[in-house]
Amino acid sequence: MKKIRFIAQKELYHILRDMRSLIIIFVMPVMMTCLYGYAINMDIEHISLAVIDQDQTVQSRALIERFYRSNYFFPPKYPVNYHDPDQLMRASNAAAVLTIQPGFERAVQTQQAFELGLTIDGSEVSQAAAVQAYASGLLNEYLQDRLPPGTTLPGVRLAQQVLYNEDLESAHFFVPGIVSIILLMVSALLTSITIAREKDTGTLEQLLTAPVSPGQILIGKLLPYIGIAFIDGLLVLGFAKILFSVPFVGSFWLLMAVELIYVATALSIGILVSTMVPTQQLAMQFALLLTMLPSVMLSGFIFAVKNMPVFLQGVSRIVPATYFLKVVRGIMLKGSGFAVLAPQAGFLLILMMIFLLMAVRRFRARIG
Amino acid sequence: MWRAYIGVIQKEFRQGLRDRNTLRMLFFMPVIQLLLLGYAIQTDVKHLWLDVYDTDRSELSRKLVASLKAGDYFDVTDMETSGDNAPLWRLDQRFKEGKAEMALVIPEDFARKLETNQPVTVGWIADGTDANAARTGIGYAGQILRQFSSSVIGRQPNVQIRSEFLYNPEAESRFFMVPGIVATLLTMLTLMMTSMSIVRERELGTLEQVLVTPINSVTLLFGKLTTFTIMAMMIMGIALNLGILWFHVPFVGSWAFLIAVSLLYLLTTLGIGMFVSTITSTQQQAMFYAWFFSIFTMLTSGYFTPVANMPIWLQRVTLVNPMRYYIEIIRGIMMKGSGVWDLHLDIMALAIFGVVIFSFSALRFHKRTT
Amino acid sequence: MNGNAVEISGLTRKFGDFTAVDHLTLSVARGEIFGFLGANGAGKTTAIRMLCGLLLPTSGQGSVDGHDILKESEKIKKTIGYMSQKFALYRDLTARENLDFYGHLYNLGNSTLKARINELAEQLSLTPFIDRLAGALPMGWRQRLALGVSIIHRPSIVFLDEPTAGVDPVFRRTFWGLLYEMAEQGTTIFVTTHYMDEAEYCGRISIMHNGQLIELGTPHDLVAKYGAKNLEDMFIDLIRPAGASNEEN
Repeated sequence: MKKIRFIAQKELYHILRDMRSLIIIFVMPVMMTCLYGYAINMDIEHISLAVIDQDQTVQSRALIERFYRSNYFFPPKYPVNYHDPDQLMRASNAAAVLTIQPGFERAVQTQQAFELGLTIDGSEVSQAAAVQAYASGLLNEYLQDRLPPGTTLPGVRLAQQVLYNEDLESAHFFVPGIVSIILLMVSALLTSITIAREKDTGTLEQLLTAPVSPGQILIGKLLPYIGIAFIDGLLVLGFAKILFSVPFVGSFWLLMAVELIYVATALSIGILVSTMVPTQQLAMQFALLLTMLPSVMLSGFIFAVKNMPVFLQGVSRIVPATYFLKVVRGIMLKGSGFAVLAPQAGFLLILMMIFLLMAVRRFRARIG
Repeated sequence: MWRAYIGVIQKEFRQGLRDRNTLRMLFFMPVIQLLLLGYAIQTDVKHLWLDVYDTDRSELSRKLVASLKAGDYFDVTDMETSGDNAPLWRLDQRFKEGKAEMALVIPEDFARKLETNQPVTVGWIADGTDANAARTGIGYAGQILRQFSSSVIGRQPNVQIRSEFLYNPEAESRFFMVPGIVATLLTMLTLMMTSMSIVRERELGTLEQVLVTPINSVTLLFGKLTTFTIMAMMIMGIALNLGILWFHVPFVGSWAFLIAVSLLYLLTTLGIGMFVSTITSTQQQAMFYAWFFSIFTMLTSGYFTPVANMPIWLQRVTLVNPMRYYIEIIRGIMMKGSGVWDLHLDIMALAIFGVVIFSFSALRFHKRTT
Repeated sequence: MNGNAVEISGLTRKFGDFTAVDHLTLSVARGEIFGFLGANGAGKTTAIRMLCGLLLPTSGQGSVDGHDILKESEKIKKTIGYMSQKFALYRDLTARENLDFYGHLYNLGNSTLKARINELAEQLSLTPFIDRLAGALPMGWRQRLALGVSIIHRPSIVFLDEPTAGVDPVFRRTFWGLLYEMAEQGTTIFVTTHYMDEAEYCGRISIMHNGQLIELGTPHDLVAKYGAKNLEDMFIDLIRPAGASNEEN
């Protein structure tokens, strides 16, 4: 026990004295939270819409105003006059063009059939189908507004309600995910570097000549990182609250408990990487590749897993972040309890054990 | 000096080709990244998990459910309910378990009201966790319901919208992303290669040895940069061709134009790589900074997120991000066949950044090595 | 050109408050083998780097091969060779490729370079290893390769910073044999070393301590002057009293 404590202490000194480690621990989580929190927003909003109004009537202007008043569309920065939607899009840098041909007002007033043209630049707009849906919705609103008050048309109406994240803040979706990314980064990255560093400088050999077992070395080295990971987790959560007002509805301790499993998994992966790779520099590259990339891309952090090809969905199942992400979002935004999240925690636990076993085995083999 | 220049290029290539890691990086990274990202990145909101609580179970309500099932917007699960109102706790639980993202509640008198020409309201509940999916799902639902309404009543609203998609008729979000991926690859790799290569020479002491010779730092620099430019172009070639052949991303514009602009962009990335090499002393540090720069540039370039969606202050930041302009240009060339005049503002921005960053970094490098 | 190979006067280099080289004054004649000795941290490497144009002096003047070190460093680089302590070689290039690279840097033409590489390989007995990766070469051979790199352009003066550190005695002896040959052909050799037996091979030696030159002369004369048994004892006697308090660890 004492030996473990000494190894842990030494590790702590290493960390505190290495500027790079300090930056990874304290600066990066904050910066990444800000970066990801502010920069990532997949909402389809603020699409620059140019309008060709060939009708030029009160009604046509009312329609245009209805479009621009919504969050979805706004006028392009450089107003230009062209009659061809294609040219207009290019010249004004708009992502979509609404064409109102002459006769719009008349058609509206006399209930005649009329067609509006909507040209969408498929290369600018990443979610073209949704844009279409919103435009159709806005047109509908406009038509409804024109009806005399109190008219109820036959037909189906939609009463909508949003549960959890009622204000539909995009940040609330992404920021909890950042916790999983940061924890992973700190744990996996730092451990892989630290073990590789000892190998590089030859101090690992030195350690092994002392009466310490590989297991004790491993545990001693890992302890500080568990602590650091938790501190970072709290740091990110704090920023989530302060900067983005992300709610925390569920149980804090449940989150901490699952976090422990997750951190252990990440650490195991870090150790695993360090045993597979000869130098520190490579360790960092591999750690980044094997942990960050799948965790950001395939865990559901940004992109929906269910829409990916089956192969990638399978890969996503062995990415620990996938499960942790569900837990974090569930606890923070929905107040999900243990009963609901048990399966996720369970999978995470299994992953942890697999990675841990692999890591320990390889570590022993490498050293002995 | 010419011989020295050639000598440097020869050496860099020899080293590079022999270094398995570099090779891995040069060939596999573009391939893997492209495949991974090309397949993983689907920004269209589709296959939303929809629970339907149909308390009416009439022919009309079944029709409504069928119209929601059609197409790939929603994956519908029919929740068996009997007579009374759908138990809301179950709905909530399904949301919590992550099994459902939307729920539709159809009232008992659905068919009756419709048949007697009375308005009827259905309830649509969305899980707001994924704000974008929620909003879009509601949008889709509205659209489908309106169409259903019209077909039942037998009357359409007189004004309709006819939509047309240009430059990406299949509206594949992948096409949208691949140009961005190419730009990112180019950025990250050249940044890393440049900074690490210079720092490595300093670490090993070979930089000193080289500086003892009559070579001047400019020639040395250009030799290295030429090598990296060639490698970067190769990577870009691989990535683009992969995108075109495998993912069928269109390439409408001019290759020559793209290459020219890419070279212009490389001024920036190589410049930053040089700069990083002057502020770091070990290769790990260099790699770390390079990686961090790349991520920052990537996230604020409009690659992932449309710039218009960012908070205003961040939008201003993107104005000084050269990658932002480069991506605009690539997208324009690849998907729209844009020409020099169409993109002249972006090109000018890129040129200014390139020249400024490159000169500044080159001067710093020169000072540091003499 | 006539005149001394190296001529320095009052050469000083400060790093902030720390004076690494303090008013160094000496001259080295052409064809001489000059030993530049001193304890660790005495300022030897700094002095050499100033002579090679890698570092600018804070004050003082000097000339190498008749060229002013402050104003004509470009010309100096063409006529000197330098072998650093670290044997700065590209480990992932073969011996031949290393020589080829530096040959290019010294502006040697293709055919000239090819011939020169073969010549050097012969001279330095590197031929069996010429196509092996530099990182895979054993110490002694790497040392020779580093020497080869420094003389590929037939410089008139060669600066060698601890060229034999970590090399076994047999190799060291043969290495010095090479140096003698070069000196006989008129090349000036300016070498630093820790090994006192090597110091005996030099024509003249100087001893630096805390940045200052404290002795200069032939090995024979110095040993006699201090009444020591050999150079090593003389060195220790000289350094120890002053050195005990400020030896760099």
